[in-house]
Amino acid sequence: MGNAASGLNPAGGNKDGQNKDAKDKKPQPKKWEPPLPTRVGKKKKRGPDAATKLPAVYPTTRCRLKLLKMERIKDYLLLEEEFVQSQERMKPSVMEDKNEEERTRVDDLRGSPMGVGSLEEIIDDDHAIISTASGPEYYVSIMSFVDKDLLEPGCSVLLHHKTSAVIGVLQDDTDPMVNVMKLDKAPTESYADVGGLDNQIQEIKESVELPLTHPELYEEMGIKPPKGVILYGVPGTGKTLLAKAVANQTSATFLRVVGSELIQKYLGDGPKLVRELFRVAEEHAPSIVFIDEIDAIGTKRYDSTSGGEREIQRTMLELLNQLDGFDTRGDVKVIMATNKIESLDPALIRPGRIDRKIEFPLPDLKTKLRIFKLHTSRMSLSDDVDLEEFVTAKDEMSGADIKAVCTEAGLLALRERRMRVTKQDFTTAREKVLYRKNEGTPEGLYL
Amino acid sequence: MPIKEESTIVVHSEDPVKKKEKEKEKLVDGKDDKAEGEDLSEEDLQLRNELEMLVERLREPDHSLYRPALETMRVLIRTSTSSMTSVPKPLKFLRPHYPELQELYEKFPGSVEDKGLFADILSVLSMTYSTPLAGHTTLSYRLDSPHPSAPGDWGHEYVLHLASELGTEYSSQVEKGTSVSSPEMQKLVELAEECAKWFLGHNAEADAVDLLSECECVEKLVHLVDNVNYARVGRYMVSCVNLLIPPDDIAFLRTAHDIYFRQARFPDAMALAVRLNDANLVRSVFNAPANVHMKQQLAFIIARSQIPIVWLAENPEETTTDEVLSALPDDLVACLTNTTLTNHFKAFGKELGVTDPRSLEDIYKSHLEPSSARSVPAQGVDSARQNLAGTFVNAFVNVGFGNEKMMVDVEGGQSWIYKNKDHGMMSAAASLGASLLWDTEVGLTHIDKYTYSNEEYIKAGAFMAMGILHTSVRTEIDAPLALLSEQIENKSVPLRTGAIVGLGFAYASTHRADIMALLLPLVADETLTMSLAALAALSLGFVFVGSCNGEIAGTILQTMMERDAAQLTDKWARFMALGLALLYLGRQEAADATIETLRAIEHSLAKQAQILVDICAYAGTSNVLKVQQMLHYCTDHITKEDKKEEAPAEPAQEEGAATQPNGTNETAAPSAPADGTATEEKKEEEKKEDDDTFQAFAVLGIALVAMGEDVGAEMSLRTFNHLMHYGEPIIRKAIPLALGLLSTSNPQLPLLDTLSKYSHDSDLDVAANAIFAMGLIGAGTNNARLAQMLRQLAGYYGKEPDCLFVTRVAQGLVHAGKGTVTLNPFYQDRGLMSLPAVAGILATLIAFTDAKAFVLDKSHWMLYYLILAMYPRFFITLDEELNPLPITVRVGQAVDVVGQAGKPRTISGFQTYQTPVRLATAERAELATEEYLPYASVLEGLVILEKNPGWEDEKMDL
Repeated sequence: MGNAASGLNPAGGNKDGQNKDAKDKKPQPKKWEPPLPTRVGKKKKRGPDAATKLPAVYPTTRCRLKLLKMERIKDYLLLEEEFVQSQERMKPSVMEDKNEEERTRVDDLRGSPMGVGSLEEIIDDDHAIISTASGPEYYVSIMSFVDKDLLEPGCSVLLHHKTSAVIGVLQDDTDPMVNVMKLDKAPTESYADVGGLDNQIQEIKESVELPLTHPELYEEMGIKPPKGVILYGVPGTGKTLLAKAVANQTSATFLRVVGSELIQKYLGDGPKLVRELFRVAEEHAPSIVFIDEIDAIGTKRYDSTSGGEREIQRTMLELLNQLDGFDTRGDVKVIMATNKIESLDPALIRPGRIDRKIEFPLPDLKTKLRIFKLHTSRMSLSDDVDLEEFVTAKDEMSGADIKAVCTEAGLLALRERRMRVTKQDFTTAREKVLYRKNEGTPEGLYL
Repeated sequence: MPIKEESTIVVHSEDPVKKKEKEKEKLVDGKDDKAEGEDLSEEDLQLRNELEMLVERLREPDHSLYRPALETMRVLIRTSTSSMTSVPKPLKFLRPHYPELQELYEKFPGSVEDKGLFADILSVLSMTYSTPLAGHTTLSYRLDSPHPSAPGDWGHEYVLHLASELGTEYSSQVEKGTSVSSPEMQKLVELAEECAKWFLGHNAEADAVDLLSECECVEKLVHLVDNVNYARVGRYMVSCVNLLIPPDDIAFLRTAHDIYFRQARFPDAMALAVRLNDANLVRSVFNAPANVHMKQQLAFIIARSQIPIVWLAENPEETTTDEVLSALPDDLVACLTNTTLTNHFKAFGKELGVTDPRSLEDIYKSHLEPSSARSVPAQGVDSARQNLAGTFVNAFVNVGFGNEKMMVDVEGGQSWIYKNKDHGMMSAAASLGASLLWDTEVGLTHIDKYTYSNEEYIKAGAFMAMGILHTSVRTEIDAPLALLSEQIENKSVPLRTGAIVGLGFAYASTHRADIMALLLPLVADETLTMSLAALAALSLGFVFVGSCNGEIAGTILQTMMERDAAQLTDKWARFMALGLALLYLGRQEAADATIETLRAIEHSLAKQAQILVDICAYAGTSNVLKVQQMLHYCTDHITKEDKKEEAPAEPAQEEGAATQPNGTNETAAPSAPADGTATEEKKEEEKKEDDDTFQAFAVLGIALVAMGEDVGAEMSLRTFNHLMHYGEPIIRKAIPLALGLLSTSNPQLPLLDTLSKYSHDSDLDVAANAIFAMGLIGAGTNNARLAQMLRQLAGYYGKEPDCLFVTRVAQGLVHAGKGTVTLNPFYQDRGLMSLPAVAGILATLIAFTDAKAFVLDKSHWMLYYLILAMYPRFFITLDEELNPLPITVRVGQAVDVVGQAGKPRTISGFQTYQTPVRLATAERAELATEEYLPYASVLEGLVILEKNPGWEDEKMDL
């Protein structure tokens, strides 16, 4: 507290001895003057504090100069560590006791339980207007031991249970909703589990993984890496599977969210969630944000009278802004997935926001075979099963369909308590699956 | 040739294969090797079979089949294309055969040429397969091959891999103690050279430099670069210098210099020669160009650098400046001696419309100050102090224009001088020198009349003004020497002071032997008061800055040893130490002997001197080891244990001790022994007080060492933060000064915030220093935000005479030269450090480490030392007749373009102006059109332009 004391704070009572002495010693005739307007109470810029920020290192290409600069930063950090440690060690124990004592006194002053409110406005150095969950707003004093640098409008503060004075700041204000989206456990699917899709894998690697792991490659080439990709294609072609494989492969933070999650009950909550999502992503950079089923919020805009519809559109506008708005996002890559790319708002998928559009077509013969092999590799097949036959049949089958066929065939075999899956099972299963798929569409009627 | 063509394709496609990916692939491959076979497509299978067949052939005893087999293999490998995310197919398929191939190679029966080819192929294969444990197989196979093909044939990735193995292999060999001249090392170096050549041809200059520096032969680059890539190589090397460990940095600088020299980029070469502080290089560069305009341009650079002109002579030791100058044509002399500086500066001021003098009120703008006084009349704030502050503000603000209304342009008797008393008059008279700065002809007539004054202080001030006037300008008449030399022996202390200081100003960084002859006896004279001796030493330090002059160093050391302890405890002693330190400014190891000698001296002054010499020697090098050393000095809490125990009583005692040296030096010296008899304790207290002065210097040292390079400078800010948190008062006092030094004339917002916080510190000394530092970082910028902060501070400290005084001075500094000058010691695109400028700033800051004893007492004239660092921040374009030539230029924030691909813009957010323009510290200029070609490479200061012969006006076309 003492060392960083800004300005004369006449009300600042129980400061440590030395400063207080010095203050008292100040020429007495000096009249009290209003302290300078401090920066307290203004909205702070997001991001790390300037004092703790490390300098940016240029060039970003791979070279010794960069290494040397990094090492220089490391050297300085080591020096700091050494210095701070030795100073902490030399600190007389008397001080510690005193600190301990002061801490207990502060705890006494705080009392318990403490209320939680949100700070509306700071009036001057010692007073603020706060509001509580129950409704009314109060004009209260701020205790001198509160770190005023942390106070900013809208933050959560601790309140005294009787006087409602501000006695502390609750710092972690990340929306809990966003934290849920963070992926703690990596999915088990890896690239090896993807049958085919070689081009798609390569494209997504180039535009999402490599920029995070080897940004210097792009720098050397003199281009900006793509910001995001959209995966589209008919259902069941492996869009989500590929995203899972990316999540499995990368060490970057992986945030996943489904488009419909961004639609919230109250006005403004959706856009706020989007903002929070990207803020968390930036804080944990490098990170990948995966938005599944983007058509839930990303459909073309049209004049709508429904409030809900408009809110959804506003959520999308916020998303547009986050993707390529005024603030630059650092190492945040976006992957979106949808079935209906044609219904998306053109602004959402323009280059600059989403630089690469990766199509997932229905598998061709070779790929189908590989998918079949993938799914049947753990099944015990009878000898008469010839997968080629199923593959060459002229049905439109997606990866999901193939999986369904395999599962269905397995179930059929199970029904008859056989230990092997026969060709007959597969044929039946295929008919079943394909019939179900085409159910309702009067196929061939108008042909 | 088809093969050739294909190989070029490989260069592009193969390059970014990532090792990590490879390893991953390998794992996957290993896992299901069998399944993979079934998975392969037709053509893959075919390729695999073909490769297997080739391997099979090598196994057979038929020698004649080896060659075609190897050739085919080579073609297959070279033509394989791949994505950036996976391994080329042939390499993948050959993997299972790799150990076998290795064995085959060991007992290969084929001809030498075949074996060479085989080795080549294995070398490429091992790039993908070798594990770190296996050693540098790529390299060893490559070296095994008797006729290796050019490395570039195998693609970019191969060369990169080879280069990385080369580097590690070389360093491990060095560690093993293999001599550099041994054949294997020679082979490595040769290969490195070959790779470097390839890199240079493929836009990878950084890689070339890195590789050769790892093999300790950067100097080979001189012959490898051509006129296309020299600029990129040079830029990269120069920006590496600050981060390298000696002696690599010198090697880099020399190589870069040689490159520029070979490419006939004389301005760049000159800048590096100056940076190396090497007289021979400077001379050779200066004499190299035949073009007279280029020579003039080089003369401008020399003049800005203020290196001794004698360096241009064959034998600097035995030649005088006059002899050198008389051998040169007149126009060149004018460029070299800076005599045209004043004309250019005034014309520049006129162009910007700032010629009219500013009054004090124009600067203070007290109507905007928060009305602090309210009803209370301004009691207690002595008007003498106010007038004194006015003197400085007037001097700084109207510097160089010579038309202000307080001192120069005024009726006799009405002069501002007479509004000051005693020592105030000295500063007032000296301010004449500042306002007439660089204008030696008019200035002398103005100052002359005051040298006949009856008032001793005015006379002394006039002497000082005489010196200040000639700062960084050399004249034929040599007026300061003629007028001041006789006053050196004068009886009166102020007069002598004035003369000594004046000489220091006028001949800063000239290395003139006659000045040494004049001043050195004063240093050696033990009967002289400490103040004069110390100032003489300091002036010598200025004159011989960075010269490593042994004679002066010896004399100062001698004095330190022989003078008795009480005298060395004097407050002035620190300037003697500084004088010694300045001799070694920027000379690094050259100072080691002196530091060793200082260790032998017992007095606490020796420790201060030791630190000062150390930090000066490494000024601007951003040597982390020095920073660490300085931090160690700051770690010790010498006084902490004792002080903490008597915490309540401590502040009072400290106050007493701090005020004690406030008396004049004459009284201070005898008072020390008198005190000694009174109480033992008191003396000890005082000694302690002295003891921790060195910590203040150490803090300044961190800034001084770190200021040369951006990363270090930014990191040191964090360090200061910690120091502020844990430090003793003496350290806390020095930190704002260090911040000021770190970012002189470069008001960065975060720094402003920090200083603004410190300026309200409860320790008034810290506050005063912080305010001064605010002035320093805003010096000559007219920064409105800073001006506003200072106005508020003026209101806040309305009744605190010391702080108010410093605030006023800071206000004057911010508006120095009405925004046309800079104090930043770095110039030439922040690549060169001006030694006298650093010396001047450092002297002022050292005075502020004990502000109450110097600047806030009677030695306020020490503020003028800042003038040594003052230089116009203009960019003036001249035609070949050296007349101003207005053209359009773009000015914007400088962008670091080292190591970037393509031709990035060097400035951002530019605006277009007509020259002359002013440049802020982090700004850069470039010509808007290609109508003219500049002779200089860095567009700042005075630049001569040449008409572009190839330029066609667009209007002509129409």
